[in-house]
Amino acid sequence: MAAFRRGCARWQQVRFLGARAPGRTFAGTHHYDLVVIGGGSGGLACSREAAQLGQKVAVLDHVQPSARGTAWGLGGTCVNVGCIPKKLMHQAALLGVAMDDAGKFGWSIPGPVSHDWSTLAQAVQNYVKSLNWGHRVQLQDRKVKYFNTRGSLLDRHTVRGLDAKGTEMTLTARNIVIATGGRPRYPTHVPGAREFGITSDDLFWLKESPGKTLVVGASYVGLECAGLLAGIGLDASVMVRSVALRGFDQQMAQLVTGHMEARGTRFHWGCVPTSVEKLPSGLLQVKWTEVRSDLERVEREDTFSSVLWAIGRVPETTGLNLPQVGVQLHPDTGKIVVATDERTTVSNVYAIGDVAEGRPELTPTAVKAGKLLARRLAGQSNQLMDYHSVPTTVFTPLEYGCVGLSEESAESRYGKDNIEVYHAFYKPLEFTIAERDASHCYVKVVCDRAGVQRVLGLHFTGPSAGEVIQGFAVSVRCGLTYAQLRDTVGIHPTCAEELTKIHITKRSGLDATVTGC
Amino acid sequence: MGFMQQTAHHDSALAFVPFFVPPISSITRLGPTSCLWRMASDAVTRFDFLVIGGGSGGLAGARRAAELGATCAVIENNRLGGTCGGNVFHVFWKVMWNTSVHAEYLHDHADYGFEGAQAHFSWQLIKNKRDAYVSHLNQIYRNNLDKARIQTIQGNARFTDDPEPTVEVSGKKYTAPHILIATGGHPSTVSDEDVPGASLGITSDGFFELESCPRHSVLVGAGYIAVEMAGILSSLGSKTSLIIRHDGVLRNFDALISSNCTKELENSGIDLWRNTQVKSVQKTEQGLNITLGTKDVKDKDAKEKTDRIQGVDCLLWAIGREPNTAGLNLSQMGVKLDPKGCIVVDEFQNTTRQGIYALGDVCGKALLTPVAIAAGRKLAHRLFEGKAESKLDYTNIPTVVFTHPPIGTIGLTEDEAIRSWGKTSVKAYTTSFTPMYYTITSRKTKCVMKLVCVGKEEKVVGLHMQGPGCDEMLQGFAVAIKMGATKADFDNTIAIHPTSSEELVTMR
Repeated sequence: MAAFRRGCARWQQVRFLGARAPGRTFAGTHHYDLVVIGGGSGGLACSREAAQLGQKVAVLDHVQPSARGTAWGLGGTCVNVGCIPKKLMHQAALLGVAMDDAGKFGWSIPGPVSHDWSTLAQAVQNYVKSLNWGHRVQLQDRKVKYFNTRGSLLDRHTVRGLDAKGTEMTLTARNIVIATGGRPRYPTHVPGAREFGITSDDLFWLKESPGKTLVVGASYVGLECAGLLAGIGLDASVMVRSVALRGFDQQMAQLVTGHMEARGTRFHWGCVPTSVEKLPSGLLQVKWTEVRSDLERVEREDTFSSVLWAIGRVPETTGLNLPQVGVQLHPDTGKIVVATDERTTVSNVYAIGDVAEGRPELTPTAVKAGKLLARRLAGQSNQLMDYHSVPTTVFTPLEYGCVGLSEESAESRYGKDNIEVYHAFYKPLEFTIAERDASHCYVKVVCDRAGVQRVLGLHFTGPSAGEVIQGFAVSVRCGLTYAQLRDTVGIHPTCAEELTKIHITKRSGLDATVTGC
Repeated sequence: MGFMQQTAHHDSALAFVPFFVPPISSITRLGPTSCLWRMASDAVTRFDFLVIGGGSGGLAGARRAAELGATCAVIENNRLGGTCGGNVFHVFWKVMWNTSVHAEYLHDHADYGFEGAQAHFSWQLIKNKRDAYVSHLNQIYRNNLDKARIQTIQGNARFTDDPEPTVEVSGKKYTAPHILIATGGHPSTVSDEDVPGASLGITSDGFFELESCPRHSVLVGAGYIAVEMAGILSSLGSKTSLIIRHDGVLRNFDALISSNCTKELENSGIDLWRNTQVKSVQKTEQGLNITLGTKDVKDKDAKEKTDRIQGVDCLLWAIGREPNTAGLNLSQMGVKLDPKGCIVVDEFQNTTRQGIYALGDVCGKALLTPVAIAAGRKLAHRLFEGKAESKLDYTNIPTVVFTHPPIGTIGLTEDEAIRSWGKTSVKAYTTSFTPMYYTITSRKTKCVMKLVCVGKEEKVVGLHMQGPGCDEMLQGFAVAIKMGATKADFDNTIAIHPTSSEELVTMR
C-alpha cells in the first residue's frame, strides 16, 4: 500500500516536472527549484544534494543571537553549539579522567595540574569557525546560493528574506524546505532565569570559565554539559525535576547519572527552581523547592557562578509566517506537522530535522532525511527516510550508546512475558588497572522472546560507546538475532566484545557480573 | 607459590575420600592386581574429556563439556590461563598498550587546556600492577574450574604407547574417549649458528619479565607482535628500532593497512630499517652491538649495505610463533603435523587420529584467544551434546592489532577478494580523515578505512581500518558482516554523530 502510494506520488511529481520548466520567473526576483530556510545539518545536506542533482538551490541562514548575545556562523546547532563543541569538550574531560588514571598506569605527574578554560574554548571556537568557513566553501562549490538572511513565507512559493541591515528581498521557489531547527528553552515562571542564566547556546562560546555551575534539567544536553564541566575540574550540579534522560532506557539512565554522582557531580533530585538573583559579588543565588513528598516541600538555596538551562528545546518557527500560508503546527509541541515524505500540510513545503514533529532531534537523521528528500524532489528516487532503529550515543563521562527499543518500550509493546533481556555488568580492562569503579559499565540486549529471538534493542554504557554501537546498528538493521550475536567471535580484550558474550537473562535472576575472560 | 598450595587444596577438596580412591568424577579401571599400593601407579584414570593445555581454548572446551555433563580433566604444566599465546598474553598486551596510550594523551593535554601535566613513567609500577592482575585472572580460572568440578592435573603430558590413546603425567596414566590438545605455542627464536649472538636477545615472553624500560630497543620482525611491541616501547620512552625484511610491516594485511601502519610507525619516531636483516650480535660494555645487512630484495643488482646499531640494551626477536608439540610424543600417535610442526586438523578440529582433537595456536591457525575459546566450545557441543555439525566458522573472524593507532580488520583483503571474485566484481570504498579529537591537537593521527564489496548486491566481504577507536569499532560491524550485510545495509544505517565509526556508514 505504502509502496503504491509512493509510486503514485512520484508519477505526479514527474508529470509536474514535465508540465513546467524548473523555477518560475518574477521580474527582479530570484527563482529556484528549491529554497531551504535554515543552514543547519539538515538544510545544508538537503541543499547540497539537490544542487548536486542539478537543481537550482538557495539557502537562507540567519542566527538570532541568544538571550546572552551569543551568535555564530553557518552550520546550525550541531556545528556551532551542539555535537561538535560538546564532543571536543567531552574529550577534554576524558583527558582529565585519563590524567587521574595515568598515575595508576605508572605515570607520575609532578605538581598540580590545572585547566585553563580559555585555551580550550579558543581551540574549540577556532575549529568551529573553520567548519563555518568549510560550509560556505562547500555551498559555493556546489553552486548553492547562500543568503545570510532571515527567511519567512509569503505564500507557498515565495520566501521573503530580511537581513541584519533591514534589507528585504523576495525569492520564489518550486519547493521550499524548512530546516530551522530549535533553540534551548528558558523557563517562563522563574524570575531571573533569562536575565542571568545561560544555555548550551552560550556555554561553548564563553570567554571565561563558567565556574561553579548549576545545570537545570537532566536531558542528554544537561547531563553532557554537567559531565564535561565536572571533567575539567569545575564544580557542577544538576537539578532534576523527575527523571534523567526521559525517553531513554531508564536503567541505563540511572547508570549514567550514578556514574556522574560517583565522580563528584551533585544531583538535586525532585527539585524545581523558583528564582535566580544576582548578588553584589556577581554570584547567582538560586532558590529552589525540593519536593520530598506530596506533603513535604523544602525550600533550598545555593550560590553559583553560572546557571545553565537545559530543560528542553523549542522549535524555531516564530516569524516564519507558517500558519498564515497553511503550514500546520502541532498544537502541543509547536513543531511542524509532517507526513512520512517530510511534506507539510502545504504540498510543496517540506520540513526536516528538529523543527519537524515526531522526528528525533539528531544531526544524522536530519542529514539523511535532507538528502533523501533532495533526491525525491529531483525525481531521482522515491526512497523514504526510515526513522526506525536510529542509533545514538550520549556523551556523558561514562558514554551511553543504544539502538532500538528501551526495555520499557519493548515491554509495553510486546508484553513483559514476551521479551527476553540479556545483560552483563563488565569491567573494562582500562578500569581494572586504573582501579576505577566499573559498577556502571553494563550491556543489555532486549530480544523478542519468540522464535529466533530478534534483537529489539541494544544498550551499552562504557568507554567509546559511540564507536561501539555504530556497527551493531548495522547488524540490527540487517535483522540481528540473539544467535547471530552469540555466533560472532569476540575481539579480545575490548569492551565491545561483551555484547557478543552476553548470556545471562534477567528472568533467570542469576548474577550478571562478568568474571574472567 | 600460592598457586601450588591452591592446587593441593583443590585436589584434596575433590577427593575427600581416602587418598587412593580416585576423584569421584572419574571411574578407575583397576589393574591386574588388587594390591592397593600397586593400584595407584597402574591404574588408568578415565574421563569423558581430557584436555592437554590450560590455555583459553582448552579451558573453554572443558568448562562447556562439564556443563554438558562430561567428566573432565585439564593437564597443565604452567599457570592456568596460558602464558603462551593465551588469554593472559593479550591481557598483558592491552595493559601495556593502554599504558602507552596514556603517554600519547599526555602530549595532548596542553592542547586541551591542561597545564602542568609533564609526566614521568614508572615501569616497575605498571609491571607490578599488571602481574597482580594476571595472577588475579589465574585465580578466576582456578575458581571457575573448581565450580565446574573439573580436575586439574599438574605436569607435562606425554602420550603413551598404549593401544588406546592414553596420556601419562608424572607417572600416572589418564585416558578418555576424547582428548583435546590445546597446548598453545611459543615465540620462535633464532639460533646462534644462523645469527651469531642471536641468543643475546629475548622474545615477547621475555618482554614481560623486563624490570625496567629499555633505553634503546631493537625489534626484529614485521608481524603484529613486533609492531605492537615497537609501538608500546617507543611510546613509553624507549628509543626503538624496528628491523624488517621487506618494504613494509603487516604484509599479509590489506595493502592499505600495511602501508598506513608502516607510515604511522615512522611518524611516531620509530627508527625503521627496511629490507634489513640482523647479521650478528656482540655484547659490549655499552650494551649490544647489532650488525645489520640491508639489501633491497626486489633489486637483484643491489649490493648489501652493512650498518651497526650500538649501545642496545634490549634486542627482541618477534619473528613468529611455533606450536608447543615437543614432548607430547605425537609422532607415535598417528597425529599428523605440517612442515612447521603444527597439528593438522579439519574444520571440526579433528586430528588425523580418531578421538584426538586440537585447537588454537598449536594448529597455527588464527592465533587469537576468542577464536580458540569459540572453537573449544563448539567442539564440546559436538562431542557431548550430539550436535554433529557444531564447528567454528573460520571466515569473518574480527581481528584487532593494538598498534598506535589500533588496527581493526575482518574478512578478505582487497587483493584476496580480487583473487577469488575477479577484479570487475570487486569494489572497494576507502576513506582517510583526521578524527575530531586531533582537530585541535598539535600531534595528528589519521584514520583510514576500507570496505571491500563484491557482486552486484555489493556484499561486504572485508573491512580494514586503522585509527583511534578502531579497536572498539570493529565488533558490531563484524556481526553485520557475518550476517551478510551489503553496502546498502551500511548506507541505510543512521550515523552516530560525531564519531569516527559513522564514516563507515557514510562512505561514497
